[in-house]
Amino acid sequence: MTEENIIVSVEAKFPQLKGLMRLPRPRRIFVDVQPEDFRNIINFCREELGFISLSTITGLDELDRFSFIYHLSREDGILINIKIQAEKTLPQIHTITDIFVAAEMYERELEDLLGVKVIGLKEGRRYPLPDSWPKDDHPLRKDWKMKVE
Amino acid sequence: MHDSHDVRIPVGPQHPALKEPESFIITLRGEKITSVNIKLGYNHRGIEKACEERSYVQDLYLIERICGICSHSHSTCFAQAVEEIAGVDIPPRAKYIRTLIAELERVHSHLLWLGVAGHEVGFDTLLMYTWRDREVVMDLLADITGNRVNYGINTLGGVRRDVSPDQAKAVLKALDILKKQTDYYVEIATKENTLINRLSGVGVLKHEDAVRLGAVGPTARASGVNSDVRKDDPYAAYGELDFKVITDNHEDVYGRTLVRVGELYESYKIIRQVIERMPEGPLTQKFPRKVPIGEASSRYEAPRGEDFHYVKSNGSEKPERVKVRAPTLANIQSVAHMLEDRYLADMPIVIAAIDPCFSCTDRMVSLKKDKQHKECLTWGELRKYSIAWHKEHGFDPDVLNLKYQRGLKS
Amino acid sequence: MRKIEIFVKRVICWARRKSPWILHFNTGACNACDIEVIAALTPHYDLERFGVILKGTPRHADVLVCSGPVTRQIESCLKRIYAQMPSPKFVVAVGSCACSGGVFNGCYNVKSGIDKAIPVSAYIPGCPASPKAIIDGVAKLLASLEEANND
Repeated sequence: MTEENIIVSVEAKFPQLKGLMRLPRPRRIFVDVQPEDFRNIINFCREELGFISLSTITGLDELDRFSFIYHLSREDGILINIKIQAEKTLPQIHTITDIFVAAEMYERELEDLLGVKVIGLKEGRRYPLPDSWPKDDHPLRKDWKMKVE
Repeated sequence: MHDSHDVRIPVGPQHPALKEPESFIITLRGEKITSVNIKLGYNHRGIEKACEERSYVQDLYLIERICGICSHSHSTCFAQAVEEIAGVDIPPRAKYIRTLIAELERVHSHLLWLGVAGHEVGFDTLLMYTWRDREVVMDLLADITGNRVNYGINTLGGVRRDVSPDQAKAVLKALDILKKQTDYYVEIATKENTLINRLSGVGVLKHEDAVRLGAVGPTARASGVNSDVRKDDPYAAYGELDFKVITDNHEDVYGRTLVRVGELYESYKIIRQVIERMPEGPLTQKFPRKVPIGEASSRYEAPRGEDFHYVKSNGSEKPERVKVRAPTLANIQSVAHMLEDRYLADMPIVIAAIDPCFSCTDRMVSLKKDKQHKECLTWGELRKYSIAWHKEHGFDPDVLNLKYQRGLKS
Repeated sequence: MRKIEIFVKRVICWARRKSPWILHFNTGACNACDIEVIAALTPHYDLERFGVILKGTPRHADVLVCSGPVTRQIESCLKRIYAQMPSPKFVVAVGSCACSGGVFNGCYNVKSGIDKAIPVSAYIPGCPASPKAIIDGVAKLLASLEEANND
């Protein structure tokens, strides 16, 4: 299946994405999606299109909002980068650990470093910050400054 | 340790009698592990944040130091992402040189692993010999790049140093030595029944679980997962080179050993091709002063598995965002799975078998027998327990050590 | 009594100098220096010919060989290990990170150098410190012990 075929399949299943998928180079697809769609899209990519690997989830602080990119890959090397956004006033997203077990560590990272709430993520120890790090201190936020001792 | 109650054992890069931090929290019933809880982050240094506060070039050398064994992996993966954003295609000779260093790194890493694996089961002769062979590779790397580790060979747009004809000859000569030694390790790995039995059926990871839990690298390939970024998503010069992806169906530590040894041979093959086919030409392509606005996802097959970098540029001199996912993190959940319902005595080699990059030193075990009484074991003592336990069950590394000390040619 | 005390002290110092027992500890390093320390013990470099033995516990160690820039998480561990070592004790900072934080100087979650947490007797720079530099550093430390002993 080529990148173009993948795009056509996704657009057929999710017409709201028509024209939004970008192919900057071979084996790289980028698309921005709505938060209410992203779990269905990720599930579709995994179940129907063979994107069985989750490389990681990148969280970004884009000043007026947070963005999250889910990087999924197939055996033939095609990587799809699915981006959603969340309001800074209510930074929360849903877990995908029921679709990708491996997502757990990456979602914990988002909670710890960006201060995002991942709804549905089971209880567990924080990662990667030390237990002694304050709970409301999120270093990867753009407005975070290191406290000089 | 023969306790019928559940005992929780924190295992981590700490010292006996100290509290946090632990890497693994293990619940033990008798000699068997019933559950594993993972805690990481003790060497979290805040690199991603630091990247945003430094220039792209500074970041290249910072990122190289995420891990001292796969430093070139991180440096190249990052450079590729930035070069993609800038629309720079590096010259062919630079691609080949990057590939050469990449494969030399894979060779020294796998030899290091072979030694560490030997050490964990008490077969120290293997450690001494593989680390001695590893020095051949370290000397080559030091000669070509100027350093034994953290080579600094990359720059944005290409590489900083060339490979001379003499160095190329030295590499080919070294390959002959290494291949001969590797033949010997293969013989040990495939004919030494006590070793085979020791490593077989240990750290089992079924194919479906390897896929489900997101395992990468030799850990996944030993469970029959045919995935290798060099083949699936080629970068540097790999698209033009002839090599096999080594997979195995043992699904255990023995399989992981076979995969890594097989990969050594493939690396020798790749290095030979790189030297013989190295194209003439410049080492760098002109790189823009400012990286344009854009983003890129870069992947690289590090010795431990897929290394993933995402870089976002906002057009300024410093990156907007750098995300790094090193391969060991992808294998952590598989390790937890592999340890469940297995013997505590298998823990050292099972953890070692994913070739973890969080530390190969100072992992300690603290044994909690009841809420009041806390006993502590060092990792060395856990290793001793493991070796003693396996001696009782038929594997004697002392016999092995003696046999191979006599038989190994120097 | 005084002569015997001096004699015993000389014997202990000689034993310590001839065969220092070291404890190796990683405070959050990238592992490069740790591998070089272990490489220094393998036949190619063979630190063991100086009588250096790697021990697993601080209670038996004379010298603490430390790598890494000291992450916050590991700082209290490092201090406790140092406290557990019997006197006189010496600390060797191996690698640029251990000396000053190296490339991680200024990163959140690191203290930027071993001497920010415990006193350091010898600094071995390098990124990583090569086995030759490590041997040189350890030899210099031993020589300085001898000098101090003679004073």
